Amino acid sequence: MANSKKPGGLREMLESMYSVIALLFILVACVELCDAAAAFDVYRLIQYDMSGSPFGSRFAALNHHAASLHFPPGVDLSRTVLIIPLRELNITFVREYINQKKPLGGLLVLLPEVLSFKTGGNNQVHEKEKMKNLLAELERLLIHSNIPYPVYFAFENDEIDTALADIKKNDLMGQPATATTGGYKFVIPTAEPKKVASPTMTNIQGWLSGLKTDGDANQLPTIAIVASYDTFGAAPALSVGSDSNGSGIVALLEISRLFSLLYSNPKTRGRYNLLFGLTSGGPYNYNGTQKWLRSFDQRLRESIDYAICLNSIGSWDNELWIHVSKPPENAYIKQIFEGLSNVAEELDLKVGLKHKKINISNPRVAWEHEQFSRLRVTAATLSELSVTPELLESTGGLFDTRQYVNETAIVRGVKLVAESLARHIYGHQGKNIQIFADESSLAVNPAYIRSWLDVLSQTPRVAPFLSKDDPFVMALKKELAGHVDEVNVQHETLEGIFTFYDSTSARLNIYQVASVTFDLLLLLVLGSYLIVLFSFLVITTRGLDDLISLFRRPPSRKLKTA
Amino acid sequence: MTMFHFFNCAILTFGPHAVYYSATPLSEYDTLGTSVKAALVYLGTALVKLVCLATFLQVSENDGFDPYQELLKALIGFIDVAGLYFALTQLTHRNISQNHKFQAVGLGWAFADSVLHRLAPLWVGARGLEFTWDYILQGLEANANLVLSISLAALGSLIWLRKNKPKTLIPIIYACAGIVATMPSITSYLRRGLGWHFPKVVGFELFTSLVMAFISWQLFSACQRPYV
Repeated sequence: MANSKKPGGLREMLESMYSVIALLFILVACVELCDAAAAFDVYRLIQYDMSGSPFGSRFAALNHHAASLHFPPGVDLSRTVLIIPLRELNITFVREYINQKKPLGGLLVLLPEVLSFKTGGNNQVHEKEKMKNLLAELERLLIHSNIPYPVYFAFENDEIDTALADIKKNDLMGQPATATTGGYKFVIPTAEPKKVASPTMTNIQGWLSGLKTDGDANQLPTIAIVASYDTFGAAPALSVGSDSNGSGIVALLEISRLFSLLYSNPKTRGRYNLLFGLTSGGPYNYNGTQKWLRSFDQRLRESIDYAICLNSIGSWDNELWIHVSKPPENAYIKQIFEGLSNVAEELDLKVGLKHKKINISNPRVAWEHEQFSRLRVTAATLSELSVTPELLESTGGLFDTRQYVNETAIVRGVKLVAESLARHIYGHQGKNIQIFADESSLAVNPAYIRSWLDVLSQTPRVAPFLSKDDPFVMALKKELAGHVDEVNVQHETLEGIFTFYDSTSARLNIYQVASVTFDLLLLLVLGSYLIVLFSFLVITTRGLDDLISLFRRPPSRKLKTA
Repeated sequence: MTMFHFFNCAILTFGPHAVYYSATPLSEYDTLGTSVKAALVYLGTALVKLVCLATFLQVSENDGFDPYQELLKALIGFIDVAGLYFALTQLTHRNISQNHKFQAVGLGWAFADSVLHRLAPLWVGARGLEFTWDYILQGLEANANLVLSISLAALGSLIWLRKNKPKTLIPIIYACAGIVATMPSITSYLRRGLGWHFPKVVGFELFTSLVMAFISWQLFSACQRPYV
């Protein structure tokens, strides 16, 4: 009994041991540790289709050797990543490469760390203008080209600087990195980019009711203040758009705060309703604004006296522009312009008027007020830009970071708009009364502006990548809700000519690899070492005859058996 | 390429053991059993050492050289010597000559040491894309360790298994055995106290292992002469 049990128990134990060992082997085989020399975040160039034509970088995954700009001429780069720091970027070189469709494994552009909103956010930028122009040109080139390899942006740090210095040294010696010569390998393991299924645009509107007297509140006239809050840029994960249109959003929030203070007291509540609109879809011909306006009740639309749209008021010195689509001789336009110029004079700044006719048949909408004008609502856009931007231009690109925005400019802009609005509402046109005077309880709050500007400068806001319940959109809604009577959120789908693809950021791993020839040589050396060791041991312990007999044994054995 | 590198480092680390076994008369006399038993004794010794280290040693914050801790580690290292004594004298070996016994024991000892200390880092590290010289140096260290283990086994067999030794040579034998037994402490002092880099330490180990092997060979043949 005991004897028969023992082998059975032993077998069970062995079987369980086998399964444990098998599991161990599977686990061990699956261990793929990523022990890269360096790993950090990189941000991909945007990929989109416009009316079916592909634009941007069409690939995301990367697994190639790295080369710098000093590569020996004539070498094949179709399986190499080219690393270009911004200060060495030659725009004609890149343009030539892209336009002539020269094959390249990938492109990595290194941006100076000072532009990063995560690290060097508050430092000063040297040679601001030069960098801004270079980045703007690069962005324009990349956005409007169809690039069949991955293009990534990264911020310079110590690890990549050392790697790049090493790569440059190797390139100068005439040995670009390939599988047989070793060097650095850049690996970005991501999946293929997929279309963003139904990109949503979220419009947030806030309503501040005016004072109802003995008439119906709905018959009170309305003034609308609108700003679009989303951005578009070469690197969507970096498109924070501090000026375009972070400055507009911040100004709108501050104006709503000031008027909520005024309207909270029935004695100072004006006889105008105020409608605040934070719209999305700005870069795409103000698609969101159009849908928002179309959703209005006819009566509401007719009750809008006029609308002021804010677009980029963060980096101007002394001059702002009012862009209109109705002719300047129009009475309403004259009224708006005069109101603003009077306040501007007092604030020691200049406003100019720019008129651009709208062409109904042209789908291009360059300014937000044009969407209002197409529905016969008087509107104007206040902006520091004097020239009408092209499609996908001035929408918050690579250079539009916190350092390029001046909060004093925004403060002055807010004062200008708020004062002129208040004078219109309370009927004090032409009188020299400072409603939002400094040092008063209604003064413009620079700290509020600064804190919101900082938040906006750290939040990329490209509309297709903002989900319906994105925390930032909810935060905007909550902030606006604190200043107005009623907030509504409208979700729309971004249809039309644009299609977007995901995968906007990834993790780059840098490996320092040895070439295959190195391992082959090593194998040769080790093989000869072992053979020498073997012969040495045989000779010393058994004698030289034994060594020779090792090679002669098979024939002699055959002879013996025969 | 990465599995290739792993394969290369593996044959550098474990190849010499196999070569030693097949090249010397050990394979003819089928001393595999002895080597396996010696490897198992090494495993047991390693466990005992681990328990002692965990109990008595304090983990220091910095990577410097603490003489008291190193002394403690050296004392615990003598458990190695005890294990080797056990393997040489207590295990029942078949009738193999003393000459082959110490070689088999030393081989099994060194093989177990390499597997325990070097296989896991090799598997986990050498398969990655990133290239470092560490694993090749580790393989060279395994080679030096093999030579040292065999020398230690030789000296041990001289001390415990051979009764008739020339009087003059006894202190030399004990001195050499002491040096070889404390090699781990010496290398750790070089690495931590003097701050030598890994390649230098490996070079030193290779050099001393060859020197020690030569000395112990001379001692062994000197002790063998009365019998011849």
